[in-house]
Amino acid sequence: MDDNVVSAMLLVSIGLGALGLGAFLWGLRTGQFDDKNKFLDGALYDGEDDMNIAKKVQDRKDKIMKDREENEKKT
Amino acid sequence: MQSSNKLSKCNHCNLEFDNDVMIFETISDKELSFCCKGCQGVFHLLSNEGLESFYDKVGSRTLHPIQNNKTELEKFDLEGYAKKYVTQNNGLNEISLIIDGIHCSACVWLNERVLHECDGIIETNINYTNHKAKIVWDPSVIKLSQIIEKIQSIGYNAYAYDAKLQEVRTNKTRREYYSRLLVGIFCTMNIMWIAIAQYAGFFSGISQSIKDILNFAEFVLATPALFYTGWLYFKGAYYGLKNKIINMDFLIVSGTLSTYLYSIYAMMTQTGEVYFESVTMIITFIFAGKYLEVLSKKNAIDSLDSISSSIPTEVTVIRDNVKSIIDTTEIVIGDLIEVKPGDKIAIDGKIEQGAGSFDESSISGESIPVYKNIGDGITSGTICIDSVIMYKATKDLSHSHLQSIATLLEDSLTKKPKIQMLANQITGYFSLMVLSMAILTFVGWYMMGVSFEDALIICISVIVIACPCALGLATPVATLIGVAVGAKKGILFKSSSHLETMAKATTVVLDKTGTITNGSPDVVSYSQNHDFDINLLYSLVKSSTHPISKAVVKYLEEKYSQIHEYSLVDAKNIEARGLSASYNNKKLLGGNIEFLNEMKVNCTLNSSKSVFVFAVEEIVVCTFELEDRLKEGAAETITNIKKLGLDVIMCTGDNEDVAANIAAQVGITKIYNSMLPKDKADIISNLQKNDKIVITVGDGINDALALSKSDISIAMGNNADITVNVSDIIFINNKITTLYDAIKLSRKVFLTIKQNLLFSLLYNFVTISFAVLGYVIPLVAAISMSLSSLAVVGNSIRIKKIFK
Repeated sequence: MDDNVVSAMLLVSIGLGALGLGAFLWGLRTGQFDDKNKFLDGALYDGEDDMNIAKKVQDRKDKIMKDREENEKKT
Repeated sequence: MQSSNKLSKCNHCNLEFDNDVMIFETISDKELSFCCKGCQGVFHLLSNEGLESFYDKVGSRTLHPIQNNKTELEKFDLEGYAKKYVTQNNGLNEISLIIDGIHCSACVWLNERVLHECDGIIETNINYTNHKAKIVWDPSVIKLSQIIEKIQSIGYNAYAYDAKLQEVRTNKTRREYYSRLLVGIFCTMNIMWIAIAQYAGFFSGISQSIKDILNFAEFVLATPALFYTGWLYFKGAYYGLKNKIINMDFLIVSGTLSTYLYSIYAMMTQTGEVYFESVTMIITFIFAGKYLEVLSKKNAIDSLDSISSSIPTEVTVIRDNVKSIIDTTEIVIGDLIEVKPGDKIAIDGKIEQGAGSFDESSISGESIPVYKNIGDGITSGTICIDSVIMYKATKDLSHSHLQSIATLLEDSLTKKPKIQMLANQITGYFSLMVLSMAILTFVGWYMMGVSFEDALIICISVIVIACPCALGLATPVATLIGVAVGAKKGILFKSSSHLETMAKATTVVLDKTGTITNGSPDVVSYSQNHDFDINLLYSLVKSSTHPISKAVVKYLEEKYSQIHEYSLVDAKNIEARGLSASYNNKKLLGGNIEFLNEMKVNCTLNSSKSVFVFAVEEIVVCTFELEDRLKEGAAETITNIKKLGLDVIMCTGDNEDVAANIAAQVGITKIYNSMLPKDKADIISNLQKNDKIVITVGDGINDALALSKSDISIAMGNNADITVNVSDIIFINNKITTLYDAIKLSRKVFLTIKQNLLFSLLYNFVTISFAVLGYVIPLVAAISMSLSSLAVVGNSIRIKKIFK
């Protein structure tokens, strides 16, 4: 077998594995695996309504943060 | 069913009740029924907010009826409260709450939804598993008390807990350990399949260029395993050296690091074999054991966090006729404090007004509540069961009973003897020996005229063959399996080193209440004198939270399946003695004999046990005898432990009669009764002076001091967090039989460790001799290493068979 083929195979297979590992570690760091029940049950209530609420909360948060920044600029 | 037409379902909580007690209501042609005002209120609130879909989500599950136990809200806005629980970030406030009353995921959904609708709340995150919530809000828009009010309005309750204390820390370590372990496992798995190609190549021939590629791939995989996963050991070795101790970590580090460096050298110069796979495997294996320890610690904290939050941090004080809630640290002697039923006492004092029964089981171990009147002293740590009481503080917080025990504990914890240190020292000597032997070998061969390179290879093969597998794996693999087997049986070891100490123990000291016995009374006999409606009795006892009433309720619920609660009129709770009520103009009385005699009911009964008598219209219709019963399998467990050759001693705060009675039932001959917490601790110190290794099992705050003194302390699962903090082992299933399992398991593990050590030492002795003489080519060193680790792992797996 050609050396290049062997190294390419190693590189690709370990690289793919490392990619998966990296993704999992990222999920772990950001707390996505902290609550296994939310993982399963939370999906049940994932409707249009809840999306709207989530958007509303996000907008509210952005607005408050923006207001604060403006206040800081003024002072 | 005949009675089914009389029952209807509550539209909020889905529970079925008698039509007599239901509230009916018709809204837009729909007939609704509610079991109480609380449920009705919440139902309307949700309808108005457009949240009816909650009920679709609940489905046919039942909820608890809404109880209007609203706590005073003003305390949430006090500065002291905020300082304690609220963290500020960017001008936004953040708090961790435990939400009470969540049954299912629909409840979590409802809470999150309602909070999201609130203006000023920026982030809500409720954990579906442990019902802890993190809330971020803007204090200029909404107050914390308003948030709590919102949660209470939909029928839940929330109280703050200090997440900074343990949870955040353990969560962080666990997460970090988990990532490190994953990287280790990933590297090991990948490096092994490359290693197989290497092994095959060794026997059937391999071109140097392919070998270089494989070597390099192994190098890439071994590097994160050694330096990322194994970082802990580098740190441990460094701190060891700083304190001039050569510890186990140093051994692991020197072994793996030298193998790693040698392998790089072999790779670069294209001479000999590389050992990257051994480096990775050793590190990952040893680290897996460490991870399991962290995991069991985290489990313990998770299950106990909600209990620790029940310890009072503030009390209601009346100063100048004004009620206010202040922090316990600010109480001064002479303050008038108010307690409500169910409150835990935080400060010692003397009753000024009111009378009631107190649960003192956490202080004296006494399971039956004590009745206290004006002028009686009350002790912190006890719980007021049934009435509102005003008392005057006679001590401040730091001198109160509860706090002074805690202070004593802190002192003794820092002085706790560590047998572990000795074990570390021995491995220290061993590693020192191996290292010096390797250096001597190198010097010896070099002096004899061998080239520097060859001498170095021989020297390294000595370290490779000796170090990590021999001692590195012998103990962790066995304890790893031991801890895992224990966890399945409900035994949580806070550290794996406790297995060893436990195996060597000579004496067991047991607490009585809550350890040998259940800790609360149970009905042991029941006799009926006249026919009567059993529902009357059930309704009467249901109206009280006294342990005896609770025991009767439990007994009735087990015995009769069709049992209903009537709504009684004029239900009264006469503290610590009895209950009275009437139903359809029939007078109902229940309580102890003195109480019934006092109410002019003729009743004569001789019993050494606690008695509950029930009378209808002043005629005694039935009697119950109650007793704090032995835990299941208690006698058997103690016999088994004695068979293992351990001394069993019972220590209790109870009086002589009760203690002797229980001891006789389980077959304990050495009893110490009427013990105060300090006396218990003294007994253990005395035993230790006579070279005994003591296991103490306890469950209450009254045992905490004794637990902290003993070599191995075991806490029963469902109890005060102070006990769990000082103990080394926790029985989550709260069974006494687990004690025997734990001792058996620890002995088995210890035996396996000894076998493993003996085997690997012998093995090492032979192979090191060959290695020193230069007979061992590096491949043989690697194979010998794998073989010895396989043997050690195989021997350790046998521990699993112990409970089959």
